[in-house]
Formats: sequence, C-alpha cells, structure tokens
Amino acid sequence: MALHNMDPKRCPMPSQEPNVRNKNFKEVALGYTPEMAVNEAKRCLGCKNKPCQTGCPVGIDIPSFIGKVAEEDFEGAYQVLSASSALPAVCGRVCPQETQCEGKCVRGIKGESVGIGRLERFVADWHREHNTTAPTVPESNGHKVAIIGAGPSGLTAAGDLAKLGYKVTVYEALHLAGGVLVYGIPEFRLPKAIVQQEIEGLQAMGVDIETNMVIGKVLTIDELMHDYGYEAVYVASGAGLPRFMGIPGESLKGVYSANEYLTRVNLMKAYKEGSKTPIKKSKNVAVVGGGNVAMDAARSAKRLGAENVYIVYRRGMEELPARKEEVEHAEEEGIIFKILTNPVRVLGDENGCVKGMECVEMELGEPDDSGRRRPVEKKDSNFVLDVDTMIMSIGTSPNPLIRSTTPGLETNRHGCIVTNGDDGLTSREGVYAGGDAVTGAATVILAMGAGKHAAKAIHEYIQSKNK
Amino acid sequence: MFKIVERKELNPTVTKLVIEAPLVAKKAQPGQFIIVRAMEDSERIPLTVADYDREAGTVTIIFQIVGGSTMELNELREGDSVHDFVGPLGVASHLDGLKKVAVVGGGVGCAIAYPIAKKLHELGCEVHSIVGFRNKDLVILEDEFKACSDKLVMMTDDGSHGQKGVVTAPLEELIQSGENYDEVIAIGPLVMMKFVCLTTKKYDVKTVVSMNPIMIDGTGMCGGCRLTVGGETKFACVDGPDFDGHLVDFDEAMQRGSMYKDFETHAREEHCNLFKKDVQ
Repeated sequence: MALHNMDPKRCPMPSQEPNVRNKNFKEVALGYTPEMAVNEAKRCLGCKNKPCQTGCPVGIDIPSFIGKVAEEDFEGAYQVLSASSALPAVCGRVCPQETQCEGKCVRGIKGESVGIGRLERFVADWHREHNTTAPTVPESNGHKVAIIGAGPSGLTAAGDLAKLGYKVTVYEALHLAGGVLVYGIPEFRLPKAIVQQEIEGLQAMGVDIETNMVIGKVLTIDELMHDYGYEAVYVASGAGLPRFMGIPGESLKGVYSANEYLTRVNLMKAYKEGSKTPIKKSKNVAVVGGGNVAMDAARSAKRLGAENVYIVYRRGMEELPARKEEVEHAEEEGIIFKILTNPVRVLGDENGCVKGMECVEMELGEPDDSGRRRPVEKKDSNFVLDVDTMIMSIGTSPNPLIRSTTPGLETNRHGCIVTNGDDGLTSREGVYAGGDAVTGAATVILAMGAGKHAAKAIHEYIQSKNK
Repeated sequence: MFKIVERKELNPTVTKLVIEAPLVAKKAQPGQFIIVRAMEDSERIPLTVADYDREAGTVTIIFQIVGGSTMELNELREGDSVHDFVGPLGVASHLDGLKKVAVVGGGVGCAIAYPIAKKLHELGCEVHSIVGFRNKDLVILEDEFKACSDKLVMMTDDGSHGQKGVVTAPLEELIQSGENYDEVIAIGPLVMMKFVCLTTKKYDVKTVVSMNPIMIDGTGMCGGCRLTVGGETKFACVDGPDFDGHLVDFDEAMQRGSMYKDFETHAREEHCNLFKKDVQ
C-alpha cells in the first residue's frame, strides 16, 4: 500500500510563461511528468463512497484510475478511464473540473482537491505516446445507428455504441470531425493532433465518419431511417448559430462572431503563416461576452499580434461565466477586462471598417430570472473604446436545419430539440438528441454525458424492439 | 475526395468543372450552392450549382479565376479530385407559378442565371434573358441561353458582340414597351444587381437577386455572410442566397465584400509567382 501524500496543495503543472505563450499557439499547460503524476495521485484518499465520481457527468471511476497511477500502472489507469470516457485527453484539458469531479473531492475541504483533470490528461497522453496494441474491434450485433454531428456528444455516443457491437456512422457537416473541439477550442488549450488521434481511435473501433454531410440538406433523418436502414438516429448537431446584439454598426468590416473568428483561426489555421484562409490583423480588439468562448477569442486575438485586447462584459468579475482558470490565464497574458460595460453602437470609418465601439457603463441591480443580478445602464456614462475589431461572443443557438427538415420533431421556442428526460428520446420514435442541440450552448463534458445516456437508451430501445 | 469527370475552359477566365457527387446531384435545385475545397489546405469557397445530372450523379460548377483559391481549383485536371465538396446548401430559387420572367445575368453570374432560365423554361414560363459581358471573348453559355429563352438580348460593354452597353438599358426598354414581368431575376456582380434593382423599383417589378457574400462554413454557424435585408440581419447561406432585391442593402454588401482585399491581392500574386516558377 502506497503512502499517502498529505501535502495540502496539489502538484503544480508546468506551463509556458505568460509573455512567451501569448505570442504562440502552442499548448499553454505542459502536463505532468510521471513523477509528478505519481506524487499527485498519492494525494487521493481512495474514498469508499467516491464523491468525485458523482461529480463526473460520464461517471469515471476516479479513485480506481488514480489508484493505478499511484501504483505506476499507467496503462491500467487508461483502461479504467476509457471504460467511461471516449475522449479522456480532451476532457482532462477542457472540463471545468472545479465544478465537477474536483468540486466534490474530500481533499478540497481542507486544502486543494486532487488534480483529477491533470491526472486524466497525463494518463491519456501517456497511453497515446506508449500504446502499441491496436484496439479490439467489437463483435458486430448486426444493428445500425446514425449519429448527426461529430462533436463531443456524437463521438461519445458513437464510441459507446460501437463497443456494444453497433455499426455506427457519424455524419459531419464540416470537412473535419471534432465539432467545437476542432473549430472552437484553440490549439493552445487543446492541440488538434490530440483530437485527431482520439477520433482515429474511434475509427479503429469500426466507427465510420462521413464528413461534408450536411444532414437536413444532403440527406434527411427520414431518409436515413427509411432508405439507409438506420434503426435509430442520435442528433448531436450542437448549437452553432451565433447571436448578434442588433446594435447599429454590427455589419461593419471587422465585426466577427466568435464562431467565425475561431473557425478561421482553428479549423482553417489562419494563424499560420501562409494560410490560405485570411483573418484580420488587428491592433485593438474588443471581445463582447464573458464565457469560455470569449476567453478563447481574446487569447487568440492576442496571439495574432493585437496590442490591446479587451473583454467587454456587462456584469462584474464574479459573474463571468468562463472557467476561473481561463480568466486567470487571460489576465496573465495581458487581456484587459472592461467589466460592467455594454456596447451600444459600433463606429465605422469612411471605408466601412470598425474604428471604435461606443459603450455605456453598467451597475448591478436586482437578481433576474437566472438568479444573477441584472445589469442596469448608468445614465450619461457613454464612452468610446478605441478598437478596430469586435468579436461578438454573446452565445449561440441550435441551427434550424435539422428541425426544419424533420417533420414531427418537437422543438422549444429557443429552437432546442425537446427530449424526454435523461435518455434523450425526442418526439419521434427512434430519434434521440443530446448535447447543445437540446440544452443550448453548454459544456463539452455535459454533451459527452448526454451522448452516454443516449447511447444506453438507444441500445435498450433497439434490444427491446428486436426481442 | 470528389472526382472531376469533365473540365472545360469556357473563356480565358471562366472554367467549368463537372464533379462526381451523387448525393449532392440527387438533391440539388437551381439557386443552391456548394462549398468546395480544392486541396487539403485550401480555403472553403462557395460556388453556385450551375447544373446537375441526377442519373450520372454529377454536379457542374462554373467559376471565374479571381484569386488564389480559384487559381488552385483551376489547376486541377480531368481525373483529379477536389478534396471537399459540400452541398446542396442554401434555399432553392422559388420558381413555381411564374408565367413571365426576365432573367438578367452578368459575367460569370450567367452560369448561375442559366440553370434558373432553363428550369423556368421547363416549367412553361416565358423567359426573356438579358446577358452582359465585358467583351466578346468573355461570353459564355450563349447557345444554352438561346435554347431556353423566348427572347435573348446579348450585351457587351465594348459592343464587340451583341449590343453595346449595360444590361439595365434593354431591361428598362422591355419594361417600358409593356412586357409585364411577374419577376426579374438578376445574378451578377453586386453593382450590376444594385442597378437592376434601382431600375425595376421605378416600375415596381418584383426583383430577386442571388447574393454572393464571403462565406466560411455555409451552414449558418458563423454569420460571416450576413446581409441586411429589409432592415433585418440575414445569413445568406441559410436564409438565401436569393433575396428580394428591393430590400437588400447593396452598399453594405459591397463594403463587406472588400474585407480581405489586401490579403486576396497578396494571395493572387503569390500564386502567380509560384505558377511562373513551375513553368520555368
């Protein structure tokens, strides 16, 4: 039995210096060495009731995988992880662990919780670098399932169903699979080579991924079920439709949605010298919004050479919806936070380019429906922020393509697909949905959790139908 | 990968590619577009579906060589493949029930106007086509338009073929002479569509234009292609590309179209230089 490491603080993870990393797109956090990982793993008390596991949306047996790390059985640890998670190298990097697994960790009561995310990342990376055995292709059960969207939710469902022997085809609209993992989250938080390898792992298990397939246009859900013989369909098409504020000047050159800015940077690699997809070279950038996407856009703009990058957010620092770690990273890299500030108008020059953003100051009033204090405009507080680029990051909603081409598919007033409870069943028999397509923009891990639940429900549905 | 089964240079700057894409061919309608990437590291560019053959499983695109990406596409030969080919995207043109239509095409826009004229003709609609080009050497699809038009007016800027002048002059004459069009469909450079709309507005003739803003994904996830139509923000890739021309803010669209002008000029020069090196 290994001795526990009772250090109240977790082992820090090496990372690039802020003033170095804000000029490159290489990964910020460098990951644990085996020694660090073993040392950190020994901080886990191996609780019998496993509160951390209840905090994980895909229910990883956390004490068990960490126990294996402490014993230096890294491959064994990976086997525990991969039993529950299709994308551990991704989750270890992008999950908001502080509100999930780590938020429930007993060690967090009197010190810092165990670095579960960092250990997950270490194990997944170790496996990727050392593994030589090909994955076993599960025995076919003769049933076919179609999945719409190759984002985290669709890929998780695909992995779980493939393990159960289903022939799974994932239809993806873009030219690369990964969804937000490839077009949204930047290279410096999640290297694309890692996403690619996790996807290749699924393909090695027999999952087919068909890119360039816009379901609703090239094929409908009805065609997939009637003409192609899929017994069930899982809709995981996400919430990719960007919102704009509707203020004057939003059509000026230099106003981007965060989706467009990040798609150009990440998917089309516009940050690379010689990229064939252009992106504006900005001097002063305002990113409107306070979520993780806003942080990603701001940190990307800084890396593309902008001198001043502002996060413009109408509430206070406490209310920022982004992960604390992302906010800290952004601050370290020199992102300027203009809180309690709201844009009212974009100003343009004679060529139709952005030359400034008129804002008003805000103060916090009574709590609104969401329980957050409602921002109220301060009278006569207008001022102009000197910017040449504005990136709107105030949220997204589900794309109308699926709902408008699938008769009988119930959606709510936000355009989200309505499902019955946890299993993701929609108003159409055999059609399941999950992830952002159901909840509206949320997190990678919640989308993965939804994929897991849907895979289980689809399995039960097909089994009961074929009895 | 999508195989190029036929390649034809229609004029020195316009090329036609017939591409094997059975699923796209099965669903495509006039007015819709595709997104293509010539090679693995290419930009995604939108091109309108110029024709389709559901049985052969092919889709035809016609493009003008204007910059780096179209030069790249133009270098591919018969038997080569384009890396990505996505579609059909956008809303199909609404053509049912039209009895008499003037189809106005400018330059490479004629490649988009042609399938619409052809479809209208098939639907039994009286089609008057007015097509304009800079000069005789740039004329495309003349015989095709002849075959599907009840009346064809050919215009060139310099008078080297057909009549001399711009497309709005014959259009206005026809309207004045009492041709009661249900609709005018204009497809071409933004400035041409703008002036067609200014002309038809005077006579209150409904005018539909096919917009061509900058696009990335073409599926409604980025809003790069947004336009102001009747005071509202619309995404051309999912709400269009066809819109009521009298409601479109053309000046804004023209300005947005110039967003990456410097980059594009640079890309074109780079590409030309590379090309020269290859030749040497």
